Amino acid sequence: MAPFYKYGFFGDEMSLVLAFVLGTGFGFFLERAGFGSARKLAAQFYLYDMSVFKVMFTAIVTALLGVTYLGWIGWLDLSLVYLVPTYLVPQIVGGLVLGVGFVVGGYCPGTSVAALATGRIDGFVYAGGIGAGTLAYAEVYPWIKGFVNSNAMGQVTLPEVLHLPWGIIVFAVVVIAVAGFSAAALIERRFGDKP
Amino acid sequence: MKLPALTLNQKLAAVVLVLGALALFSTPHRGPVVTLDTLELALIVEKEVDHVTPSELAGWIVQGRSDFRLIDLRAESDYATYHIPTAENVTVAALPEFPLLRTEKIVLYSDGGIHAAQAWMLMQAQGYRAVYTVLGGLEGWKDEVLYPALPAQASALDRARFERAAAVARFFGGEPRAEGGAAAPAPRELPRLAAPAPSGAASPAAPRKKKKEGC
Repeated sequence: MAPFYKYGFFGDEMSLVLAFVLGTGFGFFLERAGFGSARKLAAQFYLYDMSVFKVMFTAIVTALLGVTYLGWIGWLDLSLVYLVPTYLVPQIVGGLVLGVGFVVGGYCPGTSVAALATGRIDGFVYAGGIGAGTLAYAEVYPWIKGFVNSNAMGQVTLPEVLHLPWGIIVFAVVVIAVAGFSAAALIERRFGDKP
Repeated sequence: MKLPALTLNQKLAAVVLVLGALALFSTPHRGPVVTLDTLELALIVEKEVDHVTPSELAGWIVQGRSDFRLIDLRAESDYATYHIPTAENVTVAALPEFPLLRTEKIVLYSDGGIHAAQAWMLMQAQGYRAVYTVLGGLEGWKDEVLYPALPAQASALDRARFERAAAVARFFGGEPRAEGGAAAPAPRELPRLAAPAPSGAASPAAPRKKKKEGC
């Protein structure tokens, strides 16, 4: 039964080892998808290349279906899966800040580490920026604490918020993804500078 | 196979749509029925991995950690007299209805430990996994955290530990027992509830400094 950690198959130390292994794997595949290059990532925003959208949405749909089916056949206890609590407005603002950083710097936090690992100087600078930004955030935290903790909704899921069955949400996300992929193909044909 | 010529992407899209459509009928959340693995539970009990020692708990509270829910299972009047800071009062009978998430780490305590252990079992039966009990219950909390004692013939290490425990005890409004004074169990008044301010802002510096030295 999964989650393995919650069922005590391994302890804290082992979970850190596994986190390292999974993180390394994640970085490897980010790099293989071409996301170790800021050009490739920035191309997403200029609509030349929709790889970021396609890779991320593929990951979402794969995980969504995997979790749904594992839960359905009883191998995964979904109520034990940790969900990041929702703070709606602060998270939207945070997402916009991250988006601006993504466009300006050409990386998101994960891909900057992948770039760093392949020895790219811009990745190195970006990762340094993440460190500096984290420190700066910690320093200003007392002043923005109220906002950061506003709109607390707890650990919620779309089916709960929208009062829809789980399956409807899964199907809707899958349809949106497939439609999105088709649209992405069209956009690439239109804006892509492929020969 | 005589399929229309589809690209790989189209085939993948078809597969994913079929899986998505099937998922319409899925019920991935398990209901209230839980199968208890008695051997597994027995092992948890035997290995005592379901315990949190009072000192550990004190450390968490001093650090202002908020990744766990502390549940006081005693009667309301006892809770009103004294409770471990940050604890929420829920009686055993009210526990099944109390809004706790199964993803949360839940720490239970009662006076001694029996009620907490029984409640632990009830929660296991409801599919709660990350449930812990305070070793020795509130009595253990008093002995170990509020009124720590220096063991007779203490080594230097014991003394250092005692110093730390004394700082923690004062943080929670208790007081360390006089040296070698294990034989003086005068009835002590429990600290007033207002005294220990657990959450971040107003915590006294002493135990925090200790922590920092540790790093």
